[in-house]
This record gives sequence, C-alpha cells and structure tokens, in this order.
Amino acid sequence: MHSNKAADARRQRFDRQVGIYHQDMYRYAAWLSRDKTIAEDVVQEALLRAWKSLDALRDDSSAKQWLLTIVRRENARYFERKRLETVDIDNLTASQAALLAEQPDEALDEMRLAIYELEDDYREPLVLQVLMGFSTNEIAEQMGLKQGAVLTRLHRARAKLKDQMARS
Amino acid sequence: MNCEEYREAIATDPSFDGGAGHLNECAACQQYRSDMQALDQRISRALAIDVPELQVPELPELSTSKSELSTSKSDNVIALPNRRRQSQAWFAMAATVVVAALLGVRLVGTGIEYDSLADEILAHLDGEPNALRVTDVAITAKRLNAVVPADIALMDHSAGLITYAQTCPIGGRDVPHLVIQGERGPITILLMPEEKISGPQRLSGDNVNGVILPVGNGSIAIVGERDERLDRIEESVLKSVAWST
Repeated sequence: MHSNKAADARRQRFDRQVGIYHQDMYRYAAWLSRDKTIAEDVVQEALLRAWKSLDALRDDSSAKQWLLTIVRRENARYFERKRLETVDIDNLTASQAALLAEQPDEALDEMRLAIYELEDDYREPLVLQVLMGFSTNEIAEQMGLKQGAVLTRLHRARAKLKDQMARS
Repeated sequence: MNCEEYREAIATDPSFDGGAGHLNECAACQQYRSDMQALDQRISRALAIDVPELQVPELPELSTSKSELSTSKSDNVIALPNRRRQSQAWFAMAATVVVAALLGVRLVGTGIEYDSLADEILAHLDGEPNALRVTDVAITAKRLNAVVPADIALMDHSAGLITYAQTCPIGGRDVPHLVIQGERGPITILLMPEEKISGPQRLSGDNVNGVILPVGNGSIAIVGERDERLDRIEESVLKSVAWST
C-alpha cells in the first residue's frame, strides 16, 4: 500500500515536471538537432532517462535545467550513435525541412533559416537565452563554458542574424 | 558607460537594463537598443516552433515493494506460504531484504532496485549529467571540505582538477561524488567508505568505462570516458584519499 503510494507520487511528480517542460525539451532538441524527427526521438529517450533517474533531481525548482541537460546529452548520444554528417542546407531531408516550413510567414521563415544556418556554437546559447530564459551564467553551466565565452557567442550570434536579415 | 560598452551589453542581452545614464543622453544607442529588441522578438518567434502532442514512452516499472519485486523476478523465487505473507509489516520488510539478497538485487534508499553496485553507480551518473562538464574552473577548498568532511576522509587536490563536488545517495548512504578533469573528459569519483567489496570490479556503460576499487573497509569508484586511461588516475586518486574511519 505504502509502496503504491510512493510509486504514484513518483509518477505524479514526473508527469508534473514533464507537463511543464515538455515544450521546452522538444524545442531545445529540435534546434540542437535541426531535425523534427530526431528531436522526437531525443525527447523520448530523454523522458525515459529522466524517469529512471528522477530521484536524482533533488529540487523541482531545478527541473527545467535538469531536463534540458538530459536532452543535451541524449542529443549528443544520438549523433554519436548515428555519426550523422553535417547538414547540407541545399539537400535537406523532409523532417529537416519541416523545421523551416512551419508557418506561411515569410519574415519569420527568413529568420528561422538564418538561425538554422548558424553554427551550433552560436545557435545553442541563443536558444537557451531567448527561448529558455537562461541567464548567461546558467548557459555557461549548461554548456560547460566560461561566462565570457557565452557572452562572445551571444554577441556574434546576434551580429550574424542582424547581418543576414539586413541582406535579405 | 560609453557607446561601445553599452552596445556590447545590449548585443549579448537585449533585456539589459543598466546604463540608463548613457542611454538617456545617446539617441544612437536608443535606436540600437530598439533595433536589437525588435531583432530578439523576431528570433523568439522564429524559435517557438510548433510542438507535437506529448507522447510519453512506456515507462519501466521501478520496483518499490516486495510484491513488485517478487512479480518481476518470479521465475527465480519460491513463493512464501500465505501465512507468512500476511504477517506484520516489519516482517514484510525483512522478507524483502531476504528476497533481494537471494536475487543478488540491491535495494537502496529510494526503493529502486539495482543488480549491482556498478549498475547503481552508472544509473546515478546518468541522473546527474550536469556533473560531467568540461571546464577548467575548480571548486573551492571550502566546497571540497563540505562534501568530503574530515570525519569521512582526508583528501587533497593531487588527484586532478576537481570541478564538481556533491553529496549523493549510493547504496542508501550519502557519499561524496566528485568530478575531476581527465585527458578525454570529466572523470567521476565516488568515495564510499562503508561500501566494502571483495575485489576490483570493472564497469562499463554508454561511452564510459570505470572501476570500483576496494579501499580498506570501503571502496572508491572511478568512471571516465570510454577511451580514458584510468590506470594513472586510479593511482593518483588512491594516493589523494585516506579514510578517517
């Protein structure tokens, strides 16, 4: 009886955190992998791993960063396993192209393509800051960088996007 | 703050709200700020792609009771007579431990079962991915002393650059979990002064390899990247730690 309650409580805790952060997990995975199908696979693996190690999450207020860290590792694992080659922007698969053709909004599509083409080193901190609301300190921690390196990457990322938008 | 400094700050974070004195006097920076904030709004909208409906994968049951344990391992268990199953709670707990011992299963404080200490350590590492960062920033001596108090062990910094320290539950006990930087990536060290083992145990998981070494009445686990050479690390870790008990 007692153990059933504990199991239920554990499941409720998992569902609550996943319910809150699922969208963030998927979007982070999608912008890391630049592929919607891979993002779905990565999130599935991340959910499984999060479930198995939920007890390691001591404080639910850290759940977002914890879940996104798991997504980051699962994405790295996925690419290690598959040894995927660099994405060629002129030769996208359907699920890669799906990320770029979300809405019939030309201005937004241009920006999405520009973000898509950013190097991983620039795209990831931008996603963490703009979409996830991370501070530069948190981004540094997430990516294993010094804060100065994060600031430089964010600055360059925006400069590149600004240039790209000015040209288009 | 001058124009260059202000723009640097805005370009790294358009929500930056410092430099008000400069901003009030500089129309060009006001325009720059406005442009960058508009750019960020566009970036934010572009990043917010549609998300498919949540599909939670089938989650494995994590046994938390004797009955679940017995069910999951029923092939190897001889059922106890009904009379005994209906006895008091303390007896049920004791029976759980006996069943676990017969199965060679480790039951830990969280109620999750592991087949071995190695499995528990690998699961713990998976649950604490933030520990495994490549960084050259060492933790402070104060932090190290807090996680490895003198009544548990004496440890110096000679094992390597210690970049993470946390007290973590392994085998139902709180033990120091440290990370040092190796040649191929971060290396996990778990100091388990009360986890006695009879001999070295190798462990390997997703892209990692490691060893649990018997040390006095306890043991130390060292886990690194798959291609990390651990022999030298093992030597330096063993030299850097001395149990206090």
